[in-house]
Amino acid sequence: MAMRRILSFLKQSLSPPQPSVSPEALRNAFKRRYEHFRGLLTANNNALQAMADLEKIYYSGESYRMAAIHSKITTILVNVYKMVRNLLEMSDGKYAELQQKLEKISSDLDEIIEKHPPCHEGPFILPLTEVNLGARNLVGDKMARLGDIAPLSAILVPQGFVVTASATRHFLTSRHIDEINRKLQMLDPDDLDQFYKTCAEMQKIVTDSPLPPDLEELLHVHYRRLEQATHPGCLVALRSSALGEDSTGVSFAGLYRTALNVDGEKLCRAYKKIIASKYGPKATSYRRKRGYRHLDIEMCVGCMVMVDALVSGVTYSMDPSAEKSTAIRINAASGIARGVVDGTTATDLFLISREKPFPLVHKELRQGLSTSANQEAMTVSLTDAQLRKLAETALLLENHFGEPQDIEWSFDRQGRLFILQSRPIPPHKTQEKQEAPAPGYPREIGEPPFLVGGICASDGYACGEIFRVDSPEELRKFPQGAVLVLHHPSPEWAPLLGRASAVIAENGTEAGHLATIAREFGIPALFSLPRAMSTLENGQVITVDSGGRAIYRGSRKDLLRKQRVRKDIMAGSPVQRILTMAMQHITPLNLNDPAASHFKSSWCETLHDITRFCHEKSVSEMFNFGQEHHFDKGSAKQLIGEAALEWWVIDLADGFRKGLDEKTTTVRIEDIVSLPMLAIWKGISAFPWDGPPPISARGFGSIILQSAMRPDLDPTVPSGLTTKNYFLISENFCNLSVRLGYHYAMIETYMSDLLTESYVTFRFKGGAADLRRKAVRAKLLADILQKFDFRVELHSDALLARVKKKPRTYLEQRLQILGYLTLHARQLDMIMDQPQAVEQYREKFLADIKLMLSRNSTATFEKSGHE
Amino acid sequence: MNEKTKLMLVDDEPDFLEIIGKFFSRRKIAFETANGCLEALDWLARDLFDVVIMDISMPGLDGFKCMSEMKKVQPEIEIIFLTGHASLNTGITCMKHGAFDYCLKPIDFAELFEKIVLARRKISGKTP
Repeated sequence: MAMRRILSFLKQSLSPPQPSVSPEALRNAFKRRYEHFRGLLTANNNALQAMADLEKIYYSGESYRMAAIHSKITTILVNVYKMVRNLLEMSDGKYAELQQKLEKISSDLDEIIEKHPPCHEGPFILPLTEVNLGARNLVGDKMARLGDIAPLSAILVPQGFVVTASATRHFLTSRHIDEINRKLQMLDPDDLDQFYKTCAEMQKIVTDSPLPPDLEELLHVHYRRLEQATHPGCLVALRSSALGEDSTGVSFAGLYRTALNVDGEKLCRAYKKIIASKYGPKATSYRRKRGYRHLDIEMCVGCMVMVDALVSGVTYSMDPSAEKSTAIRINAASGIARGVVDGTTATDLFLISREKPFPLVHKELRQGLSTSANQEAMTVSLTDAQLRKLAETALLLENHFGEPQDIEWSFDRQGRLFILQSRPIPPHKTQEKQEAPAPGYPREIGEPPFLVGGICASDGYACGEIFRVDSPEELRKFPQGAVLVLHHPSPEWAPLLGRASAVIAENGTEAGHLATIAREFGIPALFSLPRAMSTLENGQVITVDSGGRAIYRGSRKDLLRKQRVRKDIMAGSPVQRILTMAMQHITPLNLNDPAASHFKSSWCETLHDITRFCHEKSVSEMFNFGQEHHFDKGSAKQLIGEAALEWWVIDLADGFRKGLDEKTTTVRIEDIVSLPMLAIWKGISAFPWDGPPPISARGFGSIILQSAMRPDLDPTVPSGLTTKNYFLISENFCNLSVRLGYHYAMIETYMSDLLTESYVTFRFKGGAADLRRKAVRAKLLADILQKFDFRVELHSDALLARVKKKPRTYLEQRLQILGYLTLHARQLDMIMDQPQAVEQYREKFLADIKLMLSRNSTATFEKSGHE
Repeated sequence: MNEKTKLMLVDDEPDFLEIIGKFFSRRKIAFETANGCLEALDWLARDLFDVVIMDISMPGLDGFKCMSEMKKVQPEIEIIFLTGHASLNTGITCMKHGAFDYCLKPIDFAELFEKIVLARRKISGKTP
């Protein structure tokens, strides 16, 4: 505020100029403005950097987290705000409209980012008999489906009730959610230790909160009704049923807790634990990987009477391992279904024809073969009648829901078949797959596999170092890209699937949750591989061919070539939808051309527009201040010496040596103490200029004239400055605008002790040629700059190249290169349609630059990247 | 700027205060910590501070309200917000009401350190 008062005071007192204001006061006022300018430039760089990061995240094909997006957008908004504020200070509030523009964009973004899925309210608890598909928004998909099939005459579903999403919202208030969100935002995705700790803390927030008394009482009322319908003290199973898991191809398999054999006393605690499992490591990492926000998913809990199971299993009404299957696949094991779906129990496999009378096609009795320690001594398998009953039921459910089903079931001791879950099978990825080859079948020449067999749980090829995991401690050390080797493929290890290149287990089957997730993520998985844990050693590099059920030594390029491209794991997810929408308000640049009539604050539609506008106007404000106040027209001093072309220098602060006569109209390079200007000048003067392009001087002059007369052809900067080359300098800052003919080049840099502030920016546009040739030139410059680790954006003939947050000597070298290129790129005007000439220039430029940098006294040719 | 001027860290999470405190100790930067607004205002009354690093969501007075209380006592103090979770609009709102900067956790401490240097530079520019 004080700043603005001073400036407006100055403005009033200076137009017309009044001698009463001392040069001292003017210089101070100028310094203030310069400070704002610097602040604006730093914010500009930070905003552009965060935008580039955001685009990189978006186009990477990797999964990304909402927290990362939130953080990037916040950085952009805050820095754009700083730019606007600094520009307003610099311009005495001239572009006040920008503030409203920014606030509008911020609100739009806020609405997109924070948007909640629609929320349906209803009773806290519904008996399963009152639930059908129409209630899915209240009870979750799983329970809605179960309620939907309960009335079918041939189907038996355990009695029970559902604790709805309304109850969850009643239990978990915004205070809980805020606390959890705070922990999620701070989560470092690469720190597994911290990840598990945070997941435990989040779950504790839920389990430590008391249930609201009305909900607690209601739970007991409904439990008592189940007791009355069965017997006192009846045991129940509590299962999760989540809202929002409705995307096709996204399984959400086995992520949440299931509580079995719960009695009335433990009911509330079990309920809370299931709600809390939304924040368990499995579910949290899965959501992150697939692009779901935590608020996109809401938990409900189904409570059903336990089935006294003799044999249980999973049926796929259509075998998902074959593309056009004519078989129903059944995995079964003694006892309850948990071992089957967890993938921890060896199961019998049956393939049954989908045609009546459902003959058995294939059978593998694996129970009793496995090394699994926790199996019962007596294993029970399925009778032919039971298999038929399962087949009929599978087709009935498939018909009811209109798509193939993945069904979880139990036969009780009276021989009754209970359905515990029925959900669609995730769509099968199409792939060219050979008919199940014999294990280790030599698909390729080369060294044969050293380990063969097992069950292909997810088809594919991968290579990596072995890392065996058998305990939570090892889990936390799991390196990115390693091959995960396990005893049991339990869903506990699911958080590692985002880091592993392949999974191998000594036990387990294709029916387990871990197998489902592996298929979903496109990671090869080979289960029930004999001797896996005893043969495979940590650090050993292997190639896994899970489809061929074979493990090879080393990296086998011949096999890896066959690996399919991984699919975009985020496709269609809520987070991707949100980012797509948000990007519309951030990255598109509509204000490309500062000379265009619509280059106005009122035309700023995106955050990128505002940054571009602020930057452009801040530069001209610095010029204007000079013209209005401290320096009159003559304050730009001409640089004299043996230099080609005309160069003018405007001192912003401390750019000239002390004691230089302020009234002088010319300066020599020895008078300059601006470090960045000296570096650029070193590049400009490194080699003699070969003169204007090979056309007549008269013709050349006409190009200049043409460009001056048609400013619409030429972007940037007020017309008064056309055709002159200006350095705006201070001790550590330099902005050089070079305009000649149709060219526009700008180098801007600040060299600070703080890396945050340090940067070099280069813009280049135009040239006397048609657009195609201009684009070829810009491309050539871009190629060269990329070699020197500039981050380059190229749109047609408009080039933007940046380096930032680098130390001083590094930046000085970049400035030399830019100085050199700015001068010599003009040679290219007439030759850009001759490919061999382009190559000649490329080589000449690179050779000159190398020579120039080697002349530096330090003689170090720094290059941080790779070529 | 007085040589004895300190940095203040305000956050209700002891873990965070501990980690960030270690960082500043190693760099021999004088600081005090407060677990909430009330304690922060107490510190402000009895010692010299120039830059405050503060969380937004805290029990009692939140960071935003705390900033306006602090500025009443010491208008030239600079506040850098460092918060876990907040709506997008919060950032601009805080900046509008005079925050020096606003960032989300987790932050690279080296970057935070530079922000502190910038804030101190701004203060020293104000009081010649």
